[in-house]
Amino acid sequence: MVTCIYGFLFLPLIFIAFISVFSNRIISFPPAGYTLQWYFNILSQVQFVTGFVMSFQVALLAMIFGCILGTLAAIALTRFSFPGKAFLNMLLMSPLVVPGIVAGTALYVFYIQITELFGIRLAASLPGLAFAHITITIPWTVRLVASSMGGTDRSIEEAAMNLGANPWKTFTKVTLPLIRPGIVAAALFSFIVSFGNLEMSLFLVGPGKTTLPIAILQYLSFNLDPTIAAVSVVEIVIIGVAMLVTNRFVRISSIV
Amino acid sequence: MLGPATLFVLAFLLLPMLVVLRYSVNRYVPGGLMLQVFTLENYAHFFQDHYFHKVLLTTVWVSVVCTIVSLVLAFPLAYFLARTRSAAKSLLVMLVVFPLLVGNVVRAAGWMALLDTKGVVNSTLEALHIIKAPLNIMYTTGAVMIGIISIVTPFMVLTLQSVLEGINYSVEEAALNLGASPIRTFAKVTLPLAMPGVIAGTSLVFILCMNAYATPVLLGGPSFQMMAQTIYDQISNTQNWPFGAALAFVLMFVTVALTVIAQMFLQRRYKSAE
Repeated sequence: MVTCIYGFLFLPLIFIAFISVFSNRIISFPPAGYTLQWYFNILSQVQFVTGFVMSFQVALLAMIFGCILGTLAAIALTRFSFPGKAFLNMLLMSPLVVPGIVAGTALYVFYIQITELFGIRLAASLPGLAFAHITITIPWTVRLVASSMGGTDRSIEEAAMNLGANPWKTFTKVTLPLIRPGIVAAALFSFIVSFGNLEMSLFLVGPGKTTLPIAILQYLSFNLDPTIAAVSVVEIVIIGVAMLVTNRFVRISSIV
Repeated sequence: MLGPATLFVLAFLLLPMLVVLRYSVNRYVPGGLMLQVFTLENYAHFFQDHYFHKVLLTTVWVSVVCTIVSLVLAFPLAYFLARTRSAAKSLLVMLVVFPLLVGNVVRAAGWMALLDTKGVVNSTLEALHIIKAPLNIMYTTGAVMIGIISIVTPFMVLTLQSVLEGINYSVEEAALNLGASPIRTFAKVTLPLAMPGVIAGTSLVFILCMNAYATPVLLGGPSFQMMAQTIYDQISNTQNWPFGAALAFVLMFVTVALTVIAQMFLQRRYKSAE
């Protein structure tokens, strides 16, 4: 029974990989033969190349900034107590709760408003997408780093301070190395969350400024062929590698 | 230190939400700038138009079915993962997380390959002479449901598993030793104890289903509409922002209301079972 459920979860992934090596362009079973040519074919499809570059840039920005913002917030939330802490924590988690399609609608309308008021164009731009993705990575980074902070022994920091280290030195030499696994996991997880995001980005892309999942979606609306299967496999591999690396730093099973 | 992150969430999520809430009470002027007024006509439009009722009903119906099926599918797997002493446990959990992270477009593509008229399922059945003409599975409500269920089930498994991990197995053993049948033990001991996980899992999955976009677009075809698609069309294609904004808030309100009602119902059932 358990195997069947795993089968159900993996069936679509297995078959998309299977199709990507079919030699005939129009999918039919059983295939006439097998080939890897579709993987080379990806490079001639400009929307996938630009989509990949865009997604990669956005994910990288979301990873760097999401991680810095999330780490700072997580440290403040775990180390200090202040009024309104529970509320702020809830606020930082809110991007997880608001549905992507609603958040995307809101952000799109907001960006257009900004363009009208200040003449700054954010819709269908790299910064516009990056801001959106940084926002959705914040709950993950805060959560991951905070749980890693929870596991550290406060007395080690106190010892460093007592021995004359200033707060900055204590932070860089003691706290930071202790929570490094949490930060690395947060970084990689942000990358994955951003790279795979569809609903929110949907509103924020434009001609020539599309992310990979949206390029795949648009192509799939018209045709399903080995080329799109090959592109999908590339995305599966990227996510898979990112996940395996993350797992070396923090147990994936304990964070999702 | 909290400043930058808080500012980000405020500026790029909450402020835009407020702006779009304001837009939802503006008046749409076809082809022109919308009027800054205070009107509920966009909401009224939704409640008067049968087409949008049908879209919302389809969305709710698909979401309810998918949530229940994914609960039924996920429970045995979550139970197995929570109880297993296998060394491969961590790997098995990762195998649940992986499809979840791959994203729904790629998985919908996989289902397209399987369910298409020339897809794996039809070709296999034809080759085995079980059917003569290909079955129309693609572009049906059933296809959309299969796609959505496979997307949300990992979330359900992980939520249930985290609660099941905390249940002491000896409580179940005690029930069995005292002569309760396995089914009775499950119904009277395991399920009530797992109820917080069931509530959390079904709420999360229901919200995900209600907001599904890629799967209905790809597996449902052009005539099948769920709320997320309709909102996207209103905003991006029709450019009727006030109505699109109103639809987004209707969707959010209905989702939250149904989730809260279901939670209260389950909690009451669970209390009375004690």
